[in-house]
Amino acid sequence: MQRIHKERDRLLRRAARLAGLSGSIAVVVVMLVPGGFSLTLLGRCLPALVLMVTGQYLLGRSGRMRWVALVVLAGVGMILLIGFSEPRTSGLNLVEETAIGALAATAMSSVALVLVVTVRRMIALFAAFAATLACVFASTISSPAAIVTLTITICGWFAVALAGWWVAQSVPRVMQRIAAIGRAHLAERHASELEAQRRQDARLLHDTVLATLTLLAHSGVGVNPSALRQQSGDDARLLRQLRLGGLPTPRRSGVYTLEPATASTLGNTLESVKQRFGRMGLDVDWHGSGQVLLPSDVLDSFLLALGECLENVRRHAGVARADVTITDDDTTVRAMVTDAGVGFDLLGVSAERLGFAESVVARLRDVGGNARLFSSPGSGTTVVLEVPK
Amino acid sequence: MTGPGLAGVRMDELRPSGSSRRDLRQKEVQDRQDRRRTFRRPVRTLETTRANQSGLGGRHLGIGLSFSGGFIALFLFWRFMIQWYDYPLPLPSLAAWALLTATTVLALVTAQRLSARMPDWLFAAALACGGVVVVLDLAGSRDTGDVAVYPTAAAAVGSLLIALVTVRRGRDVIGAAVVFGAVLLVGALTEVRPDPFTLAPDLMTIVLAVLPPLLGVAIVRSFRRMAQRELDLVLVQSTVSQPQFAVGMLASEELARIDLDAETLLDDVAQGRSVLPLGAEKSTTAATLATQLRLHLIQGRRETWLHHAIAESEFLGPSVNLHDPAGLAGLLDPAQRDALLRTIWLLISDTSRAEASVSLSLGPIRPTHGVRARQKLRFPIELTTTGVPRRRVDPETWQAIRVVGPHIDSSQDGSLRVEIECSIDNPADA
Repeated sequence: MQRIHKERDRLLRRAARLAGLSGSIAVVVVMLVPGGFSLTLLGRCLPALVLMVTGQYLLGRSGRMRWVALVVLAGVGMILLIGFSEPRTSGLNLVEETAIGALAATAMSSVALVLVVTVRRMIALFAAFAATLACVFASTISSPAAIVTLTITICGWFAVALAGWWVAQSVPRVMQRIAAIGRAHLAERHASELEAQRRQDARLLHDTVLATLTLLAHSGVGVNPSALRQQSGDDARLLRQLRLGGLPTPRRSGVYTLEPATASTLGNTLESVKQRFGRMGLDVDWHGSGQVLLPSDVLDSFLLALGECLENVRRHAGVARADVTITDDDTTVRAMVTDAGVGFDLLGVSAERLGFAESVVARLRDVGGNARLFSSPGSGTTVVLEVPK
Repeated sequence: MTGPGLAGVRMDELRPSGSSRRDLRQKEVQDRQDRRRTFRRPVRTLETTRANQSGLGGRHLGIGLSFSGGFIALFLFWRFMIQWYDYPLPLPSLAAWALLTATTVLALVTAQRLSARMPDWLFAAALACGGVVVVLDLAGSRDTGDVAVYPTAAAAVGSLLIALVTVRRGRDVIGAAVVFGAVLLVGALTEVRPDPFTLAPDLMTIVLAVLPPLLGVAIVRSFRRMAQRELDLVLVQSTVSQPQFAVGMLASEELARIDLDAETLLDDVAQGRSVLPLGAEKSTTAATLATQLRLHLIQGRRETWLHHAIAESEFLGPSVNLHDPAGLAGLLDPAQRDALLRTIWLLISDTSRAEASVSLSLGPIRPTHGVRARQKLRFPIELTTTGVPRRRVDPETWQAIRVVGPHIDSSQDGSLRVEIECSIDNPADA
């Protein structure tokens, strides 16, 4: 609530400054109509005008009552100066009257904007209005168009006070509405978080999608087109299910259980990886234990890393088969991916290793695992992947 | 001979440091502009706000300003009445008042109906009617001989414009007001006056015509800005309730988009719409998608609420730099988070200067001596501002800082530095 009032007061005092300063400009313009003001009168009014403008400017900065008082007192002083400082016989001339009207109705009434917010300030508003009106009345009473000046003073103050009061009412209204939007948005954020969580939980799905996309990034060269089309169709269907809010379970590969299970067996899932690479023309031979239980996030990372390694074999090794040996002890599950392909010089590869580091090592480190790479030109490549149990 | 040489050396020494400082400054400004330009809100956020916004109280404000302008119109109408017998022929001015009243009522009704934007043609029609009013009234009140008659309905066109401030852009209304004011001024200056002093009330009339719409536009503008800023704050305040690390709304949408693009691409391949082997364009798309997906799946989670709040805020985004490698912001409790967000907010929003900026640096966690159960974790939050002088800092800001933790502040070169000592429950104890 405190901040709402602060925002409201800031809005009002800025408006008061603008209204006051433009009103003062209007007063100066009217005063400078040729012949209307004598030079001595202009000279006398100048200090009061400067004081008023100063007050209006400072009012826009802090909105304190002392600046309100300064504006009103300087204005009142100017009205009285115009009305009484020179001996006259037949009241004020038209220019002087109009200047008083402009002063009272625009330059001074601007303070009403900051006086509509509390009861005490309302009282000050009535006092300032009454003082202004009394001075206008006293100064112009003997002039021909006194009634016009009085009316414009009243209308000006009413218009400004009403505008200020209305703005003061509008601010809490809009703040309440914004708070309602905030509540609606909080619900949206929760929904968004759940959505993101759901998509991130579907990591196995994303891993197969990633593998397929990588194939497509190489235009699908080197893979049986019908097998690739089938894989793409499977992946697209699963992605659609994911989009429609389901947690899709792949049917064809029959293995990726995307339910947030706490642990899954490794053996079942390995078969699907084998099938996937079989379609792409890489025969994978499994050796060793298939009955290892792994937490699902570890399993995800392990399978992704394995898939990436096999993908590398398929693309770069120049052979059509790879061996994967799974071993485990009390704490660690280890996969050794071996091929008899061309191999490469570990020191000479930069871009490839970047991809390797990003996709394999980063994923394994995520779950506390590690990867090691052994290779030399002409004698194949071996990758050892390790994850904790 | 040595003089110039020395001077040359010194110049050479000075120049790089001066220019590099300037470069740095320029880079900062550029960076900020970039961030401002590339800022976008999550689609969910846009939809939520759009569904609820409807001008955000602009309608209510518009009614009030119209009433306020009505008082000015009332004065002018009263003046029209008292000078009725002075008109050589009151008919044009009477017609002008009738037309103005009809137009204003129509404009008010449509403005309230529309609640959003007034179509161009309707605005043009309203302005055309205003123009006719001005011409009729000026024609009726010009060259009236010995008795001065002042334009009334022509000045009250300002009240018509006020009715439109909430449904048209500010500059449209200001432009119209300035044009009407100029026409009135030309009319006043070209009039033949037996008494030159009658120019003064004419000038006052012009002020009454132009000032209210200008003030109306100014008020509506700052009202909108205030509402917009408040909305921005409320929208990012919802991050306060996030877990320690969360996927931001933007990232979540991005992931959904990548998934959708991948789905489309894969589906195209499966259905044979894209022929294998793929063309260069499609395979590049696949490569890009794979890279984006990989990045999203690898990073994606290690962001704190504070990071999201800054990234999703139109006001904080360009001006706040966050350094929180350990994600310590995520450990703060909801009250501390709210206070920290408010602190940054108040520091940035209280200054009207555009170049105010805040740098936040959290951590590292202070070593604890001896292991005890239920021992609190302590870490410093260092908050450095530029362009925010200490005396302009709101008391509410200090209040908010105290909620985050005890602090020490110092001021240097007009920039404020606050070090907050933060203590939180050790998550390991929970």
